[in-house]
Amino acid sequence: MGVIALAGAAIVAAGAALSVWSARGGLALQAVGIALLGVAGAAVLISGDVLGSAFSAEISPAFGLDPLSGFFLALLAVTAIPALVFAHAYLRTSAAPIAALGGAFLLALAGVVTARDVSTFLAAWELMTLLPAAAILVARRDAPVRSAVQVYLAITHVGGAGVWIAMLALAGGGPAALIAVAALIGFGTKAGLVPLHSWLPRAHPVAPAHLSALMSGMMIKVALYGLIRVELEWLGATPGWLGYALLALGLLSSLGGVLWALVQHELKRLLAYHSIENVGIVVLGLGASLVLARTGQATWSAIAFGAALLHIANHALFKVLLFLGAGAFERAAGALELDRMGGLLRRMPWTGGAFLVGAMAIAGLPPLNGFASEWLTLQSLLHVALDRPLGAAIAGAIALAGLAATAALALLCFVKVVGLVLLGPPRTDRAAAATEVAPAMRAGMVALAALCVIAGLVPGLLLPELARLAPGGATLTRHPGLDLPGTGSLPTLAVAAALVALTGALVRARGARKAAPAPTWTCGQPVTPALNWTSAGFTKPLRLVLESVLRPERELEVVRDAGLVREIRYSAHVPSLVDRHLLDPAVRAGLRGAALARRLQTGNVRTYAAYLLALVIGLLALARTGALG
Amino acid sequence: MIGLAGIVLAPLLPGAVQMLKARLQGRRGASALQPYRALRRLWGKSTVDPEGTGAVYRTAPALVAACLALALAIVPLTAHSGWSPLGRDALVLMGLLALARFAAAAAAWDTNNGFALMGAARELMLAVFGEALLVLALLLAALPAHSTDLAAMTAAAAGAGPWSEPAHWCGALAFALVILVETGRQPVDNPDTHLELTMIHEGPLLEYAGRDLAYLQWAAAARHWVVLVLGAELFLPHWGGFGASLALLAGGVAALCAALALVETAQAKMRILRVPALLAVGGAAALAGVVSWIAGT
Repeated sequence: MGVIALAGAAIVAAGAALSVWSARGGLALQAVGIALLGVAGAAVLISGDVLGSAFSAEISPAFGLDPLSGFFLALLAVTAIPALVFAHAYLRTSAAPIAALGGAFLLALAGVVTARDVSTFLAAWELMTLLPAAAILVARRDAPVRSAVQVYLAITHVGGAGVWIAMLALAGGGPAALIAVAALIGFGTKAGLVPLHSWLPRAHPVAPAHLSALMSGMMIKVALYGLIRVELEWLGATPGWLGYALLALGLLSSLGGVLWALVQHELKRLLAYHSIENVGIVVLGLGASLVLARTGQATWSAIAFGAALLHIANHALFKVLLFLGAGAFERAAGALELDRMGGLLRRMPWTGGAFLVGAMAIAGLPPLNGFASEWLTLQSLLHVALDRPLGAAIAGAIALAGLAATAALALLCFVKVVGLVLLGPPRTDRAAAATEVAPAMRAGMVALAALCVIAGLVPGLLLPELARLAPGGATLTRHPGLDLPGTGSLPTLAVAAALVALTGALVRARGARKAAPAPTWTCGQPVTPALNWTSAGFTKPLRLVLESVLRPERELEVVRDAGLVREIRYSAHVPSLVDRHLLDPAVRAGLRGAALARRLQTGNVRTYAAYLLALVIGLLALARTGALG
Repeated sequence: MIGLAGIVLAPLLPGAVQMLKARLQGRRGASALQPYRALRRLWGKSTVDPEGTGAVYRTAPALVAACLALALAIVPLTAHSGWSPLGRDALVLMGLLALARFAAAAAAWDTNNGFALMGAARELMLAVFGEALLVLALLLAALPAHSTDLAAMTAAAAGAGPWSEPAHWCGALAFALVILVETGRQPVDNPDTHLELTMIHEGPLLEYAGRDLAYLQWAAAARHWVVLVLGAELFLPHWGGFGASLALLAGGVAALCAALALVETAQAKMRILRVPALLAVGGAAALAGVVSWIAGT
């Protein structure tokens, strides 16, 4: 398997190089290489073998492949191949550099999950951060994009310092508490955990569609891989507070992500906020796993760990699908604003149908894959709440209620997206004239939609493999549904079959007899576009109820002319409270600090000579006192 | 097989509530069988597809009814009702109810009818708080059984034991609020309203007619069945073998119907923005219940 993995990596590298001359050939070669990497990963996941080196603190490069890395490699292949197929038809302008950078990005992702020493890990980690930034800037160079990329690089590097500290402390045998905190901040920033998420909704939407998809689908998952690897494995003894910290961060991220997603009116930005929500759900599962392990429920701890990994896989599938769909709609309807689409299910049945499947999956609806992993996570939290100690039970109950509310909010949000994008009348002329996208783009999305359905039908085949990877690994019996102790069981196949058969029978019984077509009821008025509901309108009841949390801002401007009201302008938006109360003060403090530091730089050569002299004298003094050893 | 009795009997519940309400208000009212007559009448009528609607609008009523039929098969009738091919999990039930809500709201978008969307938006907003409360109430019922298997939860709630636990009372309070939200009754929603601006659950049904409407009205009745049967099984007294507990279940459901009629007679509809605060009271009670149970074991 090691040979196959190496060959795969070499082919991806060759594909990235080839892309410079021929973007399409390069993309195809990258897909072949990533498929080989995925095959090697899947084989290692199933067999449970460990190849290559174990973790070492040496400087020399070391790579290895174990079931956890294998899982992420297989997932990378499953999501990257449809994305590359999509990109084959999607990329038009500056295709060659974007395809080449994309290939290198895939290699960096694979590098992070297979690196086994500190220096390789950090090198791959930095490349993974920088390469998509370069690709975004190749694709678009306008001011908002440059600013988004700058915020992305700034926040992920400041937060990413946590990864450096954690890895270097790990190599040098630093204190465990320092490593745990630093890793939580570093990987948490990259995964987009609230309150360290501000870069994510800025950077993900501006990338080309297939890179947005891989950033939201895979890059933040690789950050979660780092979190799992360092906190649960390389750290040795996991500190007791970590489980509760993860539950708190997971709850904050899932509720915060979905609430801010609800008030977005641009499709890719909305999807980016949903990535924060789903990372939160994964982290809730990880937190539940740690708390359950400490309270001595080994089986449920392993199931919760498996639930988190399963949600990582499921979210990668439907989030890549949804971002690709957003790219296709942007191409076809010329807009990403939710209020400027409409009726696309009829105009684009393949893309629209696949997007509908993805939307229902991310909303956590049975019988799709999102429901299976959310059900498992809910069950894990419920089992945290069932037992002593009291603190764990309360934390579990609160997280359980929060996750249930998150699921209902995601449902509200994706009903809105489906309604505004796919259903109803077209909102613009461009949307009315939209046509189905190229076959390769369709193929990528339909394949992912099929995977969402399959993963929802047989989650029980994968769960035992994933639960085995938990630190206190448990053996679960393998059958298609989810039949776990302490639950009423979720027979996914039976539920799906009953749902489809019954719906089909009822549709048949309904018959096709119908009265003459009638216009929609609007109290007798003619149906005009002014009566169309908007994204803001549909979420208004929730915004009103949660006013104290979301703090929406409204502006009302009345234009008067000779005492007559001529015009009333109304605008409302929901600010990001984290940006306002955390990010902006931090940026201001940073700039003030920089201004202070600049006073050191006078431009006067004599001052610099004085600095050098002071440094030398200081060092000599330290050497004299023996402080330098 | 007895689990499927709900498919036939569900329309009796809203009928009984309406009948009892009429009696309480000094009217004679329609008989409890009125919903059956309404369903028969609708079955004979033709459906209406508003202009511009598509497959989502046409499939939604069937999907909603299918979800509720599956939910009926999952809800056990007494602790002795045995195996179900769909499992007996409480959280799967929540997923099916969510799918039904999604289908109804998506159909509202397909019609592009402002009143339907108004109702859908409000219903989904209430569901956010309703789901959080429902899962906490289910957690309280799962504490004694240590399982989310509804049959095991029903068995654990049998006898006199649970009534000495504060957690049981807290759970009963939380679930009572869930019943009001899920059945769409006052003070949360007014099922008798025919004013477009005030409809919540009825809103997304506005454009439907004929058999589509029959499916949706049956589904509304089935939702009564699911929450009232669960409420009686998990939080009302019952004991004994199959026959005795079935009789007590019928009595419990009848008592809950009477309680709904009483609340609806005595209580005006609440301002919708106040409802989440009401549900938050239930959530706080449920958390207090968890604390008392865990501290007591």
